[in-house]
Amino acid sequence: MSKKINIIVNGFEEEVLENTSIKDLILLFKEGDTDLIVEYNGRFVYPAQYAGLNVQEGDRVEFINPNFGG
Amino acid sequence: MTDLSLDEKKRYDRQIKIPEIGAEGQVKLKRARVLIAGLGGLGSVTANYLAAGGVGRLTIVDSDCVSLDNLNRQILYGTADIGRAKAECAREKLEALNPACRIAAVKGGIDDDNVLDLISGHDVLVDATDNIRTRLILNRGAVKTGIPFVFGGVENFDGMATTIVPGTTPCLACLFPHIRERSEKPGIIGPVAGWVASIQCMETVKILIGLKPALSMRLLTIRGGDLTIRQITLEKNPDCRVCGVAASADGKESIEI
Repeated sequence: MSKKINIIVNGFEEEVLENTSIKDLILLFKEGDTDLIVEYNGRFVYPAQYAGLNVQEGDRVEFINPNFGG
Repeated sequence: MTDLSLDEKKRYDRQIKIPEIGAEGQVKLKRARVLIAGLGGLGSVTANYLAAGGVGRLTIVDSDCVSLDNLNRQILYGTADIGRAKAECAREKLEALNPACRIAAVKGGIDDDNVLDLISGHDVLVDATDNIRTRLILNRGAVKTGIPFVFGGVENFDGMATTIVPGTTPCLACLFPHIRERSEKPGIIGPVAGWVASIQCMETVKILIGLKPALSMRLLTIRGGDLTIRQITLEKNPDCRVCGVAASADGKESIEI
């Protein structure tokens, strides 16, 4: 059975299973906007990296909806 | 070295006093040529500050006319301007603000066919558009010509900005390769447009006077609701079809404009 870890998602502490990927988190937190961008520990993550990037204890993830008005 | 008149020295005195600018920087601004794409909430502010600050030549581009629902944030215009072309109206206001600033007003859209002609010869491109399609056209033009491109966008209380230096930083298509055009116009509070536009002006001025823009390799995000400002570190996207390795391998499809 997988161990649980604590991470920060959108500013809130969350408990998730170890080896959870960014792709899993997007599904878990029902981030349905396909335009969203992901910040992982202060760094921009490209969609091609979502499946292969597993979060670790204490990581900080932000899901951000881009702004295109002017 | 200076070719500033006495009147110019007086007008720009408060920014010439800034050590990083000085008379030399002011001359650089005077010799500069900047294109502002869009004259809405962002462009109203960028055009105002760049003209007021002594940028010598501004090209301002917008296809729209002033409407009542623009006036909560588009501070170049007043109620009496409703129905007038924004480009022409803005030119009048900016020339009144600073007669020394040479304004080229273009009433029209930006598309794949005209973008290179429009942006050619400019030192910086300021994104003040309201849609991703035009932004990506400008981005491709910037990558092709090597002209720095200062992106800004706003929605509701929020905004974001980054400075694209072609060949050095990620381009807009690196960051937003799959964005869908939105059918509805978003809500925008005026101050967030002013906030993001002011940041774009800061970046533009720094590029023009030879300083490193703070938002190269960084995406600034602003949440006006709780006044959270974050900077996200960027890396180039090797898979980008406009500026990445994929573009080099498949340039015809990705970068042709």
